[in-house]
Amino acid sequence: MSDGSQLYDAILNGDNVRAGAIARELLDGGEDPLALVTRHMVPAMDEVGRRFECEEYFVPELLLAARAMKAALQHIRPLLAAGGVEPAGRVVIGTVKGDLHEIGKNLVSAMLEGGGFEVTDLGADVSPERFIEAAGAKKADIVCLSALLTVTMPAMKTTIDAFRNAGIRERVKILIGGAPVTQQYAEEIGADGYGENASTAVALARRMLNPVHA
Amino acid sequence: MPAGSREVVLRALAHEPTERIPIDFGGTSVTGIHASVVAALRDYYGLEKRPVKVHEPYQMLAIIEDDLQRAMGIDVESVFARKTMFGFLPEHWKPWRFNGLEVLVPGQFNTTTDENGDTLIYPQGDTSAAPSGRMPKGGFFFDAIIRQQPIDEDKLNPEDNLEEFAPIADEDVARIADLARAARATGRAVIGTFGGTALGDIALVPAPGLKNPKGIRDVAEWYMSTHSRRDYIHYVFSHQCDIALSNLEKIHHAVGDLVDAVFTCGTDFGTQKSTFCSLAVFRELYFPYYKRVNDWIHRNTTWKIFKHSCGSVERFIDSFIECGFDILNPVQCSAAGMDPRHLKERYGDRIVFWGGGVDTQKVLPFGTREEVRRQVLERCETFALNGGFVFNTIHNIQAQTPVRNIVAMIDAVHEFSGAAALSGKA
Repeated sequence: MSDGSQLYDAILNGDNVRAGAIARELLDGGEDPLALVTRHMVPAMDEVGRRFECEEYFVPELLLAARAMKAALQHIRPLLAAGGVEPAGRVVIGTVKGDLHEIGKNLVSAMLEGGGFEVTDLGADVSPERFIEAAGAKKADIVCLSALLTVTMPAMKTTIDAFRNAGIRERVKILIGGAPVTQQYAEEIGADGYGENASTAVALARRMLNPVHA
Repeated sequence: MPAGSREVVLRALAHEPTERIPIDFGGTSVTGIHASVVAALRDYYGLEKRPVKVHEPYQMLAIIEDDLQRAMGIDVESVFARKTMFGFLPEHWKPWRFNGLEVLVPGQFNTTTDENGDTLIYPQGDTSAAPSGRMPKGGFFFDAIIRQQPIDEDKLNPEDNLEEFAPIADEDVARIADLARAARATGRAVIGTFGGTALGDIALVPAPGLKNPKGIRDVAEWYMSTHSRRDYIHYVFSHQCDIALSNLEKIHHAVGDLVDAVFTCGTDFGTQKSTFCSLAVFRELYFPYYKRVNDWIHRNTTWKIFKHSCGSVERFIDSFIECGFDILNPVQCSAAGMDPRHLKERYGDRIVFWGGGVDTQKVLPFGTREEVRRQVLERCETFALNGGFVFNTIHNIQAQTPVRNIVAMIDAVHEFSGAAALSGKA
């Protein structure tokens, strides 16, 4: 019989087949789905983030861990939803209009999911209108905008302006990230925060929703 | 053409002092200029009005023709051989419009527009195949469309990732030789891009030139495979090198020393803050194959070897040098650990910096002319000492970059070279 530490190990080692199987087995054995997330999966992804920060892990390991985490989550998420469990926060994420690059955004998305957030991923080349629509429909607390290109960075400002013009800017925190993006740029365009990488994005999202305790 | 272009470049590549700083734009697909900017530069310099030719459709880079090369003082000539990223030859030009600009594109540059207004392009120009590239509506270049077939772990065959690496056809060798002769005749230094030697370049993994790519073609899947399917990747690299070395032998036989440098690999190992893998993984998975190809080139040719890697790769530079690379590009000084003075001081006598001249993420597109000038002068001061520097921006000049800033950049290089010539300092 598997135990939670094996789920932790499977995620940390990026073994998606094992992570999915263990999650299924634990749930079938009566384990509480929320406890699996909070006691084993979030700590596993936190450790993945820590290893990434100190350069024991790199992008391939991060991708593998994220995939393993998703494999476990696909068994757990329906049970959490059915049980009315509230996520750590609701996030709408996407790569901005004109930009097709998704790897960085996908990593942030996976790390946020691993951190207990409910994430709606709109994909790439997302118009401001689609961000606004999804933020409303999903009751998002946070909107994350990604851009890889210098030429598409301005679409982040366009998107933030669109939230402002729609009168809903204050309802959400808007976080930005991507290769050419900086803290200074975030301040210039009126974003609430800038995440340097997928790992720091999770801490930033937590801080946004819980500024006192972060 | 500036007097003695080739000689100046060769001296810089030999780490000898040069009387002025050699300049490259358009020599490779990572040191080029977006078609819209090439057109704007032609206007600025008052050159004959004619549509520019997009020879590299993936990034929409245009040929920088002789008149513009002269106007900008460019010292490097390209030999782009064989096919574009989308699997067709850059020939039989035809007009095409995008973002209000008329350009010339290769005859097999065949596109359709989808329901979102995005432009789709087809491998080998075959519109009956699935599209392999997408330019978003209002966008400036294409990205590969991932056509990953479902992966059955038990049936994965590394031969499937070798489809794009094939023995070079005699007609392609002859074409390269013709281009090399024409390039040499310009008096500029010649850099060749012959293909087939890039190890896991993430732009090439999706194989936008193939009609029905098999194997590992998804970008994230490839990155994960470098960790989880290490034997598979070794097999691909090893067999790819076998084919590449056989092709290089034929190409060298045809061009000899008409070519001065060769761009062999554009695989990016750096992110803004770190690397894509550890140094240990680099040395286990990539180093042996780089060394094999580079050793052959150094043993058999006079070519200098050009390695492109974006990002924070300072910790890899010793290994780049050890496995035989002579030139590093684009020298992304804004990335962690890539301080120009540190790079020059620590590595400047052992590797040529071909790039690093000005930041293209902020300063060139968004800075003032004076900010551009100041950074260019600083970079020239740092990198040009005792040769070992070819001026280029940090990667291609992107669409929407103000022409006034590009002119300020070029003028600053010439200003530095002029001042240096007067003082006898460069």
